Amino acid sequence: MTHSDLVITKRMLGVLILLVGALGFVGVLLLDALRGDFGDFGPTQILALAGCLGLCALGVSLLPLGDRPA
Amino acid sequence: MIGTLERAQSAPRLLIFAQQALIGIALLLMVLHLAVYAVYAVGLITFPFDYDQGEGFELNDTVLLSQFQSPYRDNEVFPFYASNYPPLYHVILVPFAWLFGAEYWYGRLFGFLATLITAAAIGYAVQRATGQRAIAVLSGAAYLASNYIYHIGPLFRQHISMVMFETLAVVVIATLSESKRPRRLILVCLALLLAAGYTKQLAVATVAGVFIWLFLRGVRRSIAWAIPFAAVAGGIFLLINWSTDGQWWLNTITANVNQYILGQYTGLLGQFIALHGALLVLALLMTAYELYFDRLSVYAVWFIAALLNSVLAGKWGAGDSYFATAIAAMCILAGIFAGRTLSGTWRLPRFMIGVGRAMPLIGVASCAAFVLYGAAVVKLPLDMPIFREVGQLLGVQSNTKFPNFYDSAGWTMGYATIGQIPTAQDVANGWRIVEYAKADPRPILSEEAAFSFRSGKPVVSNPTQLLNLYNNNTPEKTLYDPSALIEMIEDQAFSAVILRRDQGQTAIIGFYPPPVLAAIERAYTLREAIPMNGYEYTVLLPNPSWSKPE
Repeated sequence: MTHSDLVITKRMLGVLILLVGALGFVGVLLLDALRGDFGDFGPTQILALAGCLGLCALGVSLLPLGDRPA
Repeated sequence: MIGTLERAQSAPRLLIFAQQALIGIALLLMVLHLAVYAVYAVGLITFPFDYDQGEGFELNDTVLLSQFQSPYRDNEVFPFYASNYPPLYHVILVPFAWLFGAEYWYGRLFGFLATLITAAAIGYAVQRATGQRAIAVLSGAAYLASNYIYHIGPLFRQHISMVMFETLAVVVIATLSESKRPRRLILVCLALLLAAGYTKQLAVATVAGVFIWLFLRGVRRSIAWAIPFAAVAGGIFLLINWSTDGQWWLNTITANVNQYILGQYTGLLGQFIALHGALLVLALLMTAYELYFDRLSVYAVWFIAALLNSVLAGKWGAGDSYFATAIAAMCILAGIFAGRTLSGTWRLPRFMIGVGRAMPLIGVASCAAFVLYGAAVVKLPLDMPIFREVGQLLGVQSNTKFPNFYDSAGWTMGYATIGQIPTAQDVANGWRIVEYAKADPRPILSEEAAFSFRSGKPVVSNPTQLLNLYNNNTPEKTLYDPSALIEMIEDQAFSAVILRRDQGQTAIIGFYPPPVLAAIERAYTLREAIPMNGYEYTVLLPNPSWSKPE
């Protein structure tokens, strides 16, 4: 690793995980809407949505850890 | 902010004794598991037929490659055969095929040795990180003790070799920060990852895990390495696809997109937690510690990636083996957690320094976790000396469909119903089936390749591959048209058809696409159902009253 290389911090990791969770959540909803039966969630979709929310919560919990390297 | 705990020398003598006693008990349990595993491996290595459905097709891939033929072929042309796995495992075994012909023992021995190498790598990683030799030995042995690893270790299948390459890759790169030759370390790691990926596609999660970890440690460096890695891996992919006229893509990618069964995944996940829960807790605690109080190690990122990838265990045709990589990662993290606790080398924030006082107790709990794990993953052949007595001592009886095999895992959809040691009767019955195959010079149509190999006939069809492709047919695109195979069946071009079904079933059941099974029912008639390895092999011979409609 070069000395000038960017090292991901805990906060940056938190933001990344939060974004992945949020995008995943929206993606599952969009996919459901595109299939034409919006709101009629099956167990796999509910699990996926819960997983995305879990990711968001994990991301948020890392935000206060600041600039320490991830 | 961060303080290092003092060594746990001040722990009360009683707790130190408890730790040592628990380590001793855990080691004894691991010796038992290792002995069962070794006996099982010997039983399989000497067994001359398919033990797990599909093994023979991997042997056929090896044989084809040894004859410089591609296993990625057109499924619609005789012998209607194509492989759905990458070639590295089979390529490694090619010299054995040259020397010994089509035999199962070398592929199974290779798988068994791969598990031992993986266990050694796990132990080495824990020893290097903690200096706790007993815990290192326990961690490596814990990998071998898992019911899931036991299941697939000594099989002629590529999965466990993929896990070996993955584990070696991760263990190699784990010390990147301290390395004086980081480029060489990364190169070796990426070569091992490439090997894992070309052993089985599932390694893509480990590749992602390693690159995510590299990304966390240095964005530019990770991208600089990802580009040539992707170029090499992708280049090989495109080259194989081009040289096989697209059959590589069809058979290794398209054919592996199967129906997802959520109940299969949740059942397997519950079973995985029930069996591995004790070490899983330690591994998760280690991951959480690194996430919030330290830097994430490559082991933790790998563990998360492997756990996420285990979701694919819900695919039709997948199963417990899809947790094998997560088990390897879990063993390393659990070992490091226990080792650090015993050596008192945690670095905790000030507000948690109080936890240090509880460290001897946590050390006892960590050692107890290995004992609990050792007790949870019991599987015993109850008809063998010593194991029979151990079984009586534990008060366990057969809880599987095999009369002399106990498996604490129980059963859930996707959990392979194997694990018993084949008997002499199984071998004798296998040869009886071969006699049917040999009785007529025509080729046979068999769901397992062993009967073709043993009767000196060509391996015709890979039934699950045909079924996967057939199930993915759409009105717009036909991935597999069974017409040519059906025509041969209706012409009674095969001297015998050999299918496998669960004992007690009476219908003609098999892995072939429904129209193929229907043709078999029309043109062939059941001659005998021969039991082997807990299944019934239905031998069907040409139906004399059948006449093909003009």
